[in-house]
This record gives sequence, structure tokens and C-alpha cells, in this order.
Amino acid sequence: MIENSPYAFLLPLALLTAFAGVLLPLLAESHGRKLAAIAAGAVMAVSLALLVPLFALVVSGQTVVVPVEWLPDYGFNLAFRLDGLGMLFTILILGIGLLVVLYAYYYLPDKDKLGRFYALLLLFMSAMLGIVLSENLLMMVVFWEITSLSSFLLIAYKSEAYESRIAARMALVVTGGGGLALLAGIILLGQVAGSYELSQVIAAADLIKADPLYPLILTLVLLGAFTKSAQFPFHFWLPNAMAAPTPVSAYLHSATMVKAGVFLLARLYPVLSGTDAWLISVSAIGAITLVYGAYMAMYRDDFKGLLAYSTISHLGLITLLFGLSTPMSVVAGVFHIINHAIFKASLFMAAGIIDHECGTRDMRRVNGLFKLMPITATLAMVAAASMAGVPLLNGFLSKEMFFTEAVLFTGFDSSHLILPVFATIAGILAVAYSARFIHDVFFNGDPVDLPRQPHEPPRWMRVPVEILVLLCLVVGMFPARSVGTLLATAAGATLQAPLPAYDLKIWHGFNLALVMSVVALAGGVALYAQRATLIRWNDKLPSLNSKTGFERLHRFMAAQASRILAWLDNGSLQRYIALLCAFVLIYGGWASYRNMSLSDASFSGASSSPIDIAAMIALAAMALGTIGTTLLHHRRLLAVILIGIVGLVVSLTFVRFSAPDLALTQLSVEVVTIVLMLLALYYLPQTTPKESSRLRVGRDVLLAAGIGGGMALATYALLTSPFSTISDFYLQQSVPGGGGSNVVNVILVDFRGFDTLGEIAVLAMAALGAHALLDQLRLLPPKHDSAGRQWAQEPHPLFLRMLMQPLLPLALAVSVYIFLRGHNLPGGGFVAGLVTGVALILQSLAGGLSFAENRLPRSYPPLLGLGLAFAAGIGLVSWFFSRPFLTSAHGHFHLPLLGDIELASVIIFDLGVYLVVVATVLLILSELGKLHKGEQT
Amino acid sequence: MNIWIESLLAFLILAGASFTLLGSIGLARLPDFFMRLHGPTKTTTLGVGAMVIASAIYFSVSDPGISLHEIAATLFLFITAPVSAHLLAKAALHIAQKPVSEEDRPG
Repeated sequence: MIENSPYAFLLPLALLTAFAGVLLPLLAESHGRKLAAIAAGAVMAVSLALLVPLFALVVSGQTVVVPVEWLPDYGFNLAFRLDGLGMLFTILILGIGLLVVLYAYYYLPDKDKLGRFYALLLLFMSAMLGIVLSENLLMMVVFWEITSLSSFLLIAYKSEAYESRIAARMALVVTGGGGLALLAGIILLGQVAGSYELSQVIAAADLIKADPLYPLILTLVLLGAFTKSAQFPFHFWLPNAMAAPTPVSAYLHSATMVKAGVFLLARLYPVLSGTDAWLISVSAIGAITLVYGAYMAMYRDDFKGLLAYSTISHLGLITLLFGLSTPMSVVAGVFHIINHAIFKASLFMAAGIIDHECGTRDMRRVNGLFKLMPITATLAMVAAASMAGVPLLNGFLSKEMFFTEAVLFTGFDSSHLILPVFATIAGILAVAYSARFIHDVFFNGDPVDLPRQPHEPPRWMRVPVEILVLLCLVVGMFPARSVGTLLATAAGATLQAPLPAYDLKIWHGFNLALVMSVVALAGGVALYAQRATLIRWNDKLPSLNSKTGFERLHRFMAAQASRILAWLDNGSLQRYIALLCAFVLIYGGWASYRNMSLSDASFSGASSSPIDIAAMIALAAMALGTIGTTLLHHRRLLAVILIGIVGLVVSLTFVRFSAPDLALTQLSVEVVTIVLMLLALYYLPQTTPKESSRLRVGRDVLLAAGIGGGMALATYALLTSPFSTISDFYLQQSVPGGGGSNVVNVILVDFRGFDTLGEIAVLAMAALGAHALLDQLRLLPPKHDSAGRQWAQEPHPLFLRMLMQPLLPLALAVSVYIFLRGHNLPGGGFVAGLVTGVALILQSLAGGLSFAENRLPRSYPPLLGLGLAFAAGIGLVSWFFSRPFLTSAHGHFHLPLLGDIELASVIIFDLGVYLVVVATVLLILSELGKLHKGEQT
Repeated sequence: MNIWIESLLAFLILAGASFTLLGSIGLARLPDFFMRLHGPTKTTTLGVGAMVIASAIYFSVSDPGISLHEIAATLFLFITAPVSAHLLAKAALHIAQKPVSEEDRPG
């Protein structure tokens, strides 16, 4: 069945062409709207032409599958499939798409550039093609969501109109929500089947139906299908979506978007059907939608609304047919997909012409158009007759098939009456609303107070309608010869089983189905004749305005969401930290409660290093410093100094435990941080009021104690539990693998270079954040301190400046030295960057900020970018030697002056780190310096 | 190690430690800001200086070669101590700290 032909590559190519073509109309737009239309049409035509060679294969009963591996471990492959069902939909999507492109060119006002419209239309078309040509179900869901998004944009094409925006949002919420349900359903389906490839899912059909998850899968998938196909009770978005321009309605709401739902039913028919759950849920929803839609259609005064409800009704019919799950009903369902697409697209286009010519869609005003536009009227009447199921037209054939199935179906009740009666009622209603459309619009007296004087539309605007109506007639009269093959191929692919014997012809002899058709026609006309009574009766029924209801629900939910958000996200940093800590505490506590193994292992008492007096003093100093900082945080200067003490003791601890790299880094970080904090303190108010209530202090103390105690426990557990580390690997591999004997630095720039790249990227982003926050900020520094004393106005002390200037080259030499030796001895780009930063900070402190500013670069973001480019660039270089990203190379060199030196390519990476660090430090320094510039001048 | 060198080292370390202790006591006990400033700057310079010399002698004798790290340390000490004392004094003048002698002086 599955064939890999030499032309199979055309399948992904066609889809690629469609997606690539999305931008063409936008590019063509500047050369006029005509070129934009031609570009859109060309993209569709080329896609179709690429697929046509494969059609012959498909018709001969083969399925073309093109798998392209992408993420095979997750079951996500770009797998494409063309079978009979896909072929039918491809022809509908591209064929009707071409007609819509032509139609829209005349329909949309001349002032519209059309580039955006056609681009969106193509995007939608490509996504629809993606749905019907996907072998991988996850890929299909992705395309499904793209159709939801692009249809949102298409419905809201007239975005200046409030109605359009509301309607678009409603369609997006309903179909997008259904798409999420579908995603969940497909994931479950793939889990159960063990694959997301449609062929394998179909092969696992029995397994899936026997699985306990089957009801859930079915519900979720049906939610997706029913929301998309506007089935009751999710139908309400479709009538509102009539706010879209008519070409969009003709395309989305007849042939494509809403058909995606029934396509899904057809696609998964072999997988999910054949159970009672499927039979009952799908056919019941379909039947309700069929009658409800037809009933509502009768009462629309807006003829586009009438068509929308009739679409809902016909989609219900198709759903019902798939629900009945007999082979013949599936054939009828597929046949009706074709017929409905043809007559409904032509009706929407005709309705668009009338709307375009009359300026209104109200059937109480649009009357008697037959005299004014006879050709359009004739076309529309033929299409409407097809919709009603009049013989010799295509709608009659599939409706007849439906009636036959309704009579033959024996699943529901013993008397075999419910379904035939239901079908006849639906038939009567369909005839009645079709009659209303024909009679009200084209006859029924003269037009009432039209905004425009209607006449025949431009010649080419009518061509798409003429083609479609011609198809109605051809299919209606010569069904077997015109669509026999297409229908057989598509129905065969849907069933994945041999086709039942059927005969596509108009005359089946006198049988019950014919009687039902006659009853429907006569009853429908009679019902329409009694319309005045009916309308009066209907007006007395409580009206259910889905639009305002949905909108109210939407507003309510949005208001609740913003209330929750306002509570969570009120801009208070204290609250964020409190929430974060509370969450960590609860979640961490729960996790360690659930998983006691960590704490079990930890308290078994593995030996720890002995505690000496120096360590005790250091620990005490740190603890005192931390407690002091907390208690004295109202006296900011003192608090900052205490933080400095903590930092210094931490770096001494690193020295004690033989981590000179860390000690060096910690020391220089400490200096930079404290200086920058002191500079920032200058702008803060001199005194801090007491802001926290006692209750809040209590809460904070509890949270802090919990987090601190938890961290202490976790650290203790980690330090005392026996575990094997990968340190040995690093120690062994440092020289042979990384070319450096300083393991810390080799880890940073080589073994875990990707981590470091991420870290410096974060650092650069933080610096950019500071830049964004401070760049335009100008603060007035306080005139005097808390005791009312003026700030000193004296110039910077000459003494200091003179002494600091010779220190600069010295400090820079030190930083170069630390940088170069980093790979083998304590040092490296990070420390070197900090040392340079400290040296430059010192200069600006000694000489004043303006002194430093005149001598340093003005803008630091480019320097940040340069640093990142160095680090990432050297990583990319390894690709040219076909090695993984960030592979290092090293070698031994003899350089003049420096002597023998071991150089590794990571030194460039380290240079990137150095540049980012220097730029970050200086950026914050200069931004802080610029803060009070306005005041100085 | 030679007894004379050991005696010299002991003397230097003890002298340095004593000066540092004295400086610390001075910092804690002297009556006003300007007097207290003398403690950590002048005496500490001398105390730390003595210890640095002791260190230089010790490492020059015990290890091969002459130890020169201490000269750098001394250099930085001699730069930073007066500068910080100078800045502290200027700040004190600015916020109008009064010497005790002026407070005591009648009228």
C-alpha cells in the first residue's frame, strides 16, 4: 500500500513552496494589488502543479509517505503523506483557493493593498495543506494551530471594526482551545499506539480501542474536531465569524477551516470508530447540529448569517454520517464534503457579490434582485437549489445517500423510525431556508432603501461563481464520470478497507429515500409559505445571544485573571521573594518528605574535616556579619560594610580550602560590588522608614529561617553523603584534554565552556538590563545628609589622583599577567576582567567620574557584544574542523620575550569572558555616574 | 638558622606586634577622632613595616634567592595608609568633628 515513488520528494516540496510563498504577495504589493493577486495565485498553482504528478499514484490505490527524521527520540518526524483523503482536500483547498484569490481581487476595496490579505490567505492555505498532508500527527496538530491563528487574523481583516475583532477573538478562543484539547488527545493517542505516524497508529487501532484511555482520547480528539467544525454547542463562533470579508468566509467557512474538523473525523475514522462511544457521541452531536443549524438558518435576516447556520447544519450532517460508521455512510459523508464545498463556496461568493452591490445583507431590504442582476441571481439560485437538495444538482445526490442510510440504519431503535424522521425534518428545514434565501433576495417585491444601486458585478468577479455552479450541475448530472474516481479514492482512504458496492446515479427507482426527498421539498416550501406564523412563534422563544454571553464570560474571566495577577504581581519585590521562598519551602519540604533517601543517607555520619579555631572564628565572623547586616539594614552604610566583611571572610575560606582561583575571584567581585553599592547608596534616601508591620516581620523571619535551615540541611546532607564525583575525570583530563594544568580554568573555558558561554550571556543581559533601567534616568542627589550637613563641594584630592595614576599601568599589567597564566595557574579571564574593572573604578573614584568618562569608551553594549562574539565565534571555528561546538585546540609555542608557552584556542574564549566582565563593570559604573549629570551642569 | 638571625627576627616580630597592639589600643582609647586617626596610620605603618622586614629576612634566608614580595607589600602600604588617613581627615573636617583641645578651651 505504501509506495515510495521517485517523485515522492514533490510532496514536501509542494508544502515548502506554499509556506515560502507566503511572503511573495507582501513583496509584490509595492508593484500594485494586481501583482499581489497574481503572486498569490501563482503560489497556489505551483503547489498544485507539484502535487499533480503524485495523484496518479494515489488514484491507483497507493499512499505516498515521505518520512524526514527530525527528532526521532520524541516521535517527532517531518513525515508527509498523500492518500485519497489528502488528495481530495488538496484539490478543494488549492482549487477553491485559486477561485477565492481571483474573487477577492474584485471584492476587496481598491484602496486595500492586498499584500497582507493574500499573505494571510496563503499562510492559512499552507497550514491547511499541512494538516491534510501530514503523516505525523503531532505535525498535523502544529498546522492545525497555525490555521487557528491565521484564521484569527483573516477574520479580523477589517481590524478597525470592533465587531471583527470580537468575532476573531471568539473564533480563536474556541478553535484554539479545541486545538489544545486535540494536542492532548493526540499525545495520548501516540503514547498508546507507540508512534505518532499515522500508518502505525492505524495499524494499532484495535490496541487503542481496547485501551482504558480510549474514552479520554476520543473525548479530546472530538473536542478538537467539533470546535473546528462548529458543532453544537461550539457552533456560535461561526455565525459571528461572518464579520470576515466574504472571500475569507467563502474559503474558510465553506471548504477549508470548518472542514478541518470533519477531515480529522475522517482521518482518524479507522483508528477511533467502531465503538459505541464513537457511534453515540459523534452521531448525536451531528444530528443535533444538523437540525439546530437548519432551524436557526430559517430565522436569519442577514443572508450571510443564513449561510453560516446552513454551513453548521451541513457540517452536522457530515459528522452524523461519519458517526453512523457504516461503510456506505462514510462514502456519503465524503461525497457531501465535496458537494457542500462546491455549492457553499459559490453561495458565499454570490452573497458577497450581492453585499458588494447592495451595501447591506439584510433580507428585509434586499429584495427583487432578479430584475437587477439576472445572471448572478440565476447562479445563486442554482447553488441554493443544490443546497436544498433539488434533483439534477450535486446536493441532491449526497442528500439522497444520507436518506438511504438513515432508512437502512438499524443501530438506534427497534422501529427504525427516529433517524428517518430526523433526516426528513432536517431536509424540510433545509428546503425552507434555501427557499427563503432565493425568494427574499431575488423576488418578493422591490428593494427597500438600499445604500447603493445594485447591478451586475464585474465580469471576472462572477467567473469563480460560474465555475462552481457549473461543477454543481456537472456533478449533479454525471456523478460517476465527474467525481467517481475522486470519491472512491478518498472514501477508500478514509475507511482503510474495501469500498462497499454503490452506484453513483441520479435515478435509483422508487424507494423510501425518494419519498423522503419529495416530502422534504414539499414540506420545505409549505413551511416557507407559513413563515410569518413561524417567525412570530420563534420571537416568543427566549433568545440565546451567544455573542454577548461569550463576551460576558470572556470579560469575567479576564477580570478574574487580572485580579489574580494584581494580587501576585503587584510590583512589590518583597512579595515576589516571599512567594518564591514560600513555594521553595513547601515544594522542597514536600519533595524531601516524599523522598527521604537523601536525608537517610546524610545523617549516617560520614566523617567531616576537623574544625579548628581559625575556621571557627571565620564562621563566627560570617554569621555575625550576616546577622549584623540584617539587623542594621536601616543604616545602609554600615550594612554595606558588614556585607563586605562577610565577602572577605568567604574569600579567606577559599584560601583555607586551597581554592586560590575562587579566592581571587571572590575578592575582586567583593571590591567591585561594594564600591558600586556605595555609589548607588548616594542616590537613596538618607533614612529608611520602618515599613514592615510586626506581623510581616514575623512572616519574613519564619520564611527566612525555613529557607536558611533548609539550605543548611541540604548542604549538610550533600557534604556528608557518600557519592562519586567526576572530579577525577577532570583532574586526569585537564592537561591531555584541555592543555592546561589549572583544572578550574580548564573546566570553565573548555570542559564546560557551553555553561560559561551561557553565564557570560546572562551577565551581558544583566548589564543591558542595568543600561535600560539607568540610561535615561536622571536623579537629583540629596543636598545634604541625614544630619543636615551639606555634601563637600571640594575638588577630588590631588594627593589621591597623583598616587592613583601610576597605579593604573601596574594594575593593568597584573590583570594581563593573571589573564595569560590563567590556563595553568590561578587566574583567567574572569578574574583578569575584574582586576581591570577595579583598576578603572579606582581611577574614576580618584579623578572624578567626568575625568574617567573623558578617557573611557562612551557606550558599552557594543563591547558586551564583542565579548560574546569572541566567545561564541571561537566555538564556531571548531565547526570548520568538523568538531563539535567549542572544541578546543592547544599546542606548545615559543614566543619571543615570553619564552615557551602553552597556548590553547580557549584563550580567545577567555578573552571574550574578560571583555564581557570589564564591559559590565564599567557600564554600571558609568551609568551610575551619569545619574546626576543633569544636576551638575 | 643562625641564632643572631633568629634573635633579629624575634625582635622585629615582637616590635611589630607591640606597635600594632599599641595602635589598636590607641584607636580604641584616644579621646577624639583626630588623635584616634594616628593609631591605625602611623603606628600600624611601623608595626606592619617591622613584620614585613622580618618576613623578607626569613624567606631570604630559608629559601634560595632574595624574597622581594615584601617590598611590593611595603610599597602599597606606604601608598594606601597616608592616602586613606588624608581622606579620613578631610572628611572629618568637613563634617565638623572638633578636636578635644578646642572643646576644652574656654571661650
